[in-house]
Amino acid sequence: MRVAFCTDLEKSVLVSNFEKRGWIQVGPDEDWNFYWAGTITCRNIFSVDSGYRMNDFQAINHFPNHYELTRKDLLIKNIKRYRKELEREGSPLAERSETGRYLHLDFVPITFILPADYNMFVEEYRKSPLSTWIMKPCGKSQGAGIFLINRLSKLKKWSRESKTPFNPAIAKESYVISRYIDNPLLIGGKKFDLRLYVLVTSFRPLKAYLFKLGFCRFCTVKYDAAVQELDNMFAHLTNVSVQRHGGEYNSMHGGKLSVQNLRLYLESTRGKSVTERLFANISWLIVHSLRAVASVMASDRHCFECYGYDIIIDSKLKPWLIEVNASPSLTSTTVSDRILKYKLISNILSIVLPPDGMPDVRWNKTPSAEALGNFELLLDEDLAAQDDAGPSSSSSHGSARYGRPSNRQIIRKSGWQVAVRVVSTRKRGNLVLRCVTPEATRTSDVSRYCSSFFVLWQRKS
Amino acid sequence: MMDDLKDKSIHLTAQMISEEIRQMPMYRGFYNEVQKLVSSSCVSNSNFRPSLLNAMRQTGLEVELRNTVFHWLRAHPGPQGRASSGAVIGSKEPILFLKKAQAQWEKRIQKSLTSMCTELNQVLSKCRAGSDKDEMTEKWTELSTYDIDLSQYRPVYAPKDFLDVLLWIRSPNHRSLDGEGSWDFSQIPLKVKTLSELKSLFQEIARGEPLLGVNPNMPAQNNLYQNLEAERIALGEKVIAGNHAPVAQEFLKRGCPKCLRGKIWAQVLGSQVKEEHVEHFEELKLFVLQYDMIVDKLLIKDVQLTASNDDQYFVFEDVLYQIMLCFSRDTEVLKIFNNSSSTPVTGLLKGKNPSFENSIVFPPSGVIPFHGFSMYATPFCYMYDEPINLYFTFRAFYMRYWFRLHEVSSHEQGILSLCLLFERLLQRHEPTLWTHFKQINIQPVKVVFKWLMRGFSGHLPPDQLLDLWDVVLGYDSLEIFPILAVAILSFRKENILDVDTLQNIEAVLADLSSLSVVALLQLSLMKDSI
Repeated sequence: MRVAFCTDLEKSVLVSNFEKRGWIQVGPDEDWNFYWAGTITCRNIFSVDSGYRMNDFQAINHFPNHYELTRKDLLIKNIKRYRKELEREGSPLAERSETGRYLHLDFVPITFILPADYNMFVEEYRKSPLSTWIMKPCGKSQGAGIFLINRLSKLKKWSRESKTPFNPAIAKESYVISRYIDNPLLIGGKKFDLRLYVLVTSFRPLKAYLFKLGFCRFCTVKYDAAVQELDNMFAHLTNVSVQRHGGEYNSMHGGKLSVQNLRLYLESTRGKSVTERLFANISWLIVHSLRAVASVMASDRHCFECYGYDIIIDSKLKPWLIEVNASPSLTSTTVSDRILKYKLISNILSIVLPPDGMPDVRWNKTPSAEALGNFELLLDEDLAAQDDAGPSSSSSHGSARYGRPSNRQIIRKSGWQVAVRVVSTRKRGNLVLRCVTPEATRTSDVSRYCSSFFVLWQRKS
Repeated sequence: MMDDLKDKSIHLTAQMISEEIRQMPMYRGFYNEVQKLVSSSCVSNSNFRPSLLNAMRQTGLEVELRNTVFHWLRAHPGPQGRASSGAVIGSKEPILFLKKAQAQWEKRIQKSLTSMCTELNQVLSKCRAGSDKDEMTEKWTELSTYDIDLSQYRPVYAPKDFLDVLLWIRSPNHRSLDGEGSWDFSQIPLKVKTLSELKSLFQEIARGEPLLGVNPNMPAQNNLYQNLEAERIALGEKVIAGNHAPVAQEFLKRGCPKCLRGKIWAQVLGSQVKEEHVEHFEELKLFVLQYDMIVDKLLIKDVQLTASNDDQYFVFEDVLYQIMLCFSRDTEVLKIFNNSSSTPVTGLLKGKNPSFENSIVFPPSGVIPFHGFSMYATPFCYMYDEPINLYFTFRAFYMRYWFRLHEVSSHEQGILSLCLLFERLLQRHEPTLWTHFKQINIQPVKVVFKWLMRGFSGHLPPDQLLDLWDVVLGYDSLEIFPILAVAILSFRKENILDVDTLQNIEAVLADLSSLSVVALLQLSLMKDSI
C-alpha cells in the first residue's frame, strides 16, 4: 500500500521528502493518507458543517483549534488561566516572589488584550510611564501591523487615526499590547530572536519534541534603544520578511546564526552554568506553554503540529516567549537554511508515523530513539506515567554508571534527569521507598525537580 | 668542562633576560610591587632574601616573573634558547634559495600594491579629512555602516596564487630526473617529522587518553565529578588561579572547556590585558582615526568578502573591522620579522628621493593582507566579548603562528614544511589515495592548501575549530594541521576514490561540519603505521 500525500504548499523541502519515501501525490478531494495542509483548509476539514470524517489511516499537520496557542490573544488568555489554576492547586510551580512576580512561570512579558483590557493596561502603564510597549494585531503574521509606543498619548493618537473608531466596546480587530523587552541580549551589537521548532504529536497525553537545530534571526541594523529609533522597524523586528527588505540584508547567511553557535558564544563569554540555566528555562517555557493549552486543545489522534516558537533572550539571559506560529515558514533563504528545513520535515515524518510509514490512529505514538533524528524529547506524559507505575521508578543504574556512592542518584524520567540525594530509605513490604531531595539549589535544578514531580502531582490529584 | 660551559651559558642568558626585562613595559609596575613588598612587614631585614622570595611567591609576583621569562624564551629561540620543537633556529632564513624566493614574492606583492594605487589614483597612506575622521569616530562600534566604495579594490593575492609560487620553487641542490619532483614538494629537501615522531610529540592524543573534544560526557577519571567536562572545568579553574603559563599550556593538551578557553589562551600567550595594553589599544584607535591607508580598504573588503558572508561569523563584522584596522597599525607586530624569512614591504615618503632614510615600513605592522586574512581573527570573536581582549590574544596568536602560514621559509612550522609533511604522510600512510591522485593527475596539496593556509578557519564549525586550535596552542605546533588534512582525506577515502575531477573531489570535501575533529585526530595518531 503506497502512502498517498496531499499538500497545499508546493515547497521542495516538503515534496522531496514525500517522494523520497515513495509516496504518491493526490488531490485534496481524493483518498489521501497524509495531508500537509494550510490553516484554512484545516478549518474547513474540521468544521462541523463540512461533515468531513477522517478515517483511521489519515494524518494531518494541524490541530483543529491550534489558534488557542498560536493567536496572540488566546495564548495570553490560556497562560494566565493556567497560572491561576496552578496557584489555586497550591502547586510549587506557581510560587511568587515578594514583589508578586511568578518565580517559575514568568515567561511572557506583561501583556493585555485590547480593547477588552484597556483599562487594566492603562493602570499598569502608569506604574512605569517611561516604558515602551509593542502593539501587535492578533490575527496577522510576518511582522505586519506591528508598532511601538512609548507614550499613552501615541496610543490615543493611533486610536483616533485608525479607520474604525477605537471604542473599547465596539472595535472588531483585537490587538495585544506587551511590555517591550528593551534590554535584549545583543551579539555584535545586534538584536536577535530565537526561532525554535517544536513538534507536538498529542496534547492529552502531552507529547512534545524540540528540534535541536534552531537558529537566531538577527536584525541588520544596530540596535539602538533611543526613542527616535522606535520607528526604524528594521532594528526592532527580527522577522525575516521584514529584514529581507532592509538595505543590508545578506542572502548568503540570511541573518541566521545557529543555536549551536549561540551556545558556544554564551558558554565562552558568560560561563557554563548560566548558559545551561538559560537553555533549561527555554525548555520549560515551551513545556508550560503547551500545558497551558493542553486542556482546551482538541487532541484529535489524526493530528500533529510543528510550531515555530519565537523567543527573545534579555541581557540577563532570561528567555521570553513572544509568540507561537502554527505554520512556520518553509521558504529557504540560504543553502544551509534549505538543508535545515529538509532535515526538519524528514525528522517530523519519522516521528509522527508508525514504523511501517503508514499513518494509523491506533499507533501509540511512541517513536524509537533513532526516529527522533535531530529532535530531542521535551516531554512525553505517557512514558512518564509508565515510568511512575513501574517498580524501578527512580533509576539507580545512574549511580552504577558513574560509580558514585549510592546516596547520590540521578532520577531519569522520559528525557529529564535530576540529581538528588537520598535522605532516608524505608522498606514497605517488597517496596523500597527512598526519600529524596534535589541536590543543588540552582534555579534550573529546582524547576526541573518541580516539573519532574509535577507529573506525579497531576496524577495524584 | 661541559657543565661549566652550560652553567656559563645559563648565567649569560639569565643576565641577558634580566636586561631585557628591565626594558619591558611591565617592569615599572612589577618593580613597584616588589618595593611595596619590601617595605611591608612580610619582609624582614635580617632574613631579607628568603623572606622576600617567600613574599613574592605568596603574592603571585614570582609567578609573574616566571611567566615573563617563559614568554621571552618562547619569543627568542636564538642560540641561547631552543624552540619547543627542539630545533635550533637561526633568526632569519638560512637557506638561500628560499630566501630568494621569498624576496621575489615580496617584490611581486609590492608591485601589485603600488600598481593598484596608481590605477586607483590613491596613495599608500594619507591623513584623514576632518569630516571623514568625525564619521569614523561616530561609527567606531558599527563600522559596517561606514560608507565606502570598494568596488575597484581587489585583494592583493589569494591562497592559490601563493600556492603557485610555492610549487614553482626549485632547489638548486636537487636535480630532478625526467621532470620528477615537479608534481609535489619532494624537490625541496626539508626535514619533516615521521608519524612516529609526531606520535611522540602529540603524546596525549596518540596514547588514547581521554580528550574533552571527543566526548565531554565521558565518565570522569575522578569519581567526584559527574563527567569529564566537569572534571576539566574544576581542574581548569585551578590552573587559571595559578596563573602560570607553562601549566596552562600543558592543560590545553587534553582539551579546554569552552567557558575557560578565553582565560587559558590569554595566560599561555601572555596576552592578558593590563593597563599598558589599554593605552596601546587606544593609541592604535587614534592612529586609525588620524590617517587612512590603502591597506584599510583591502582589509575592509576582505571582511566583507569573507566574514560578513559567513553564516558562522557575520554577526561579528563590526568587531572585526576594529580589530583588523588597529592590527595594521600596530608596530609591535614587526617583531615577527626577527624570526622570519620575510622582510616588510616599504613605501617611499612622498616627494622624496628613493633612499633608505626616506622609506618607511608599510603598513606599520609590516603585514600585507591577502584574501581571507581576516579569517585568522574571526574565531576569536566567539571567545571574547570585549574587542580589546580579542585583539591582544589574536595578535599574540598571529605573531607566534599565523605569520608562518604565508611566507616562504624553511622553518619546521612554515607552510612549506607543512605541505611537505602532508604529502609525506599521505603518500606513506594512504598509498591508495596517493596513487589515485597521481592517476587522475591532481596534486593532493591543491585540495588541502586552503585548509592549511587558513588554519582551517572558515572550513570547520567554530566549536570544532577552537578544539583544533587548543591542540596548536597546547603543543605549540602547527603540525597538527597536515595530520588533520590527511585524516579527513582518509575518512572520506571511499568517496574520493569514486570521483576523478578536482571539482568533484572538492564537492566531497566541501562540507566538514559533521566531523568530530579531535576524535578524528586521535584515531589517526593511534593507528599503527602501515
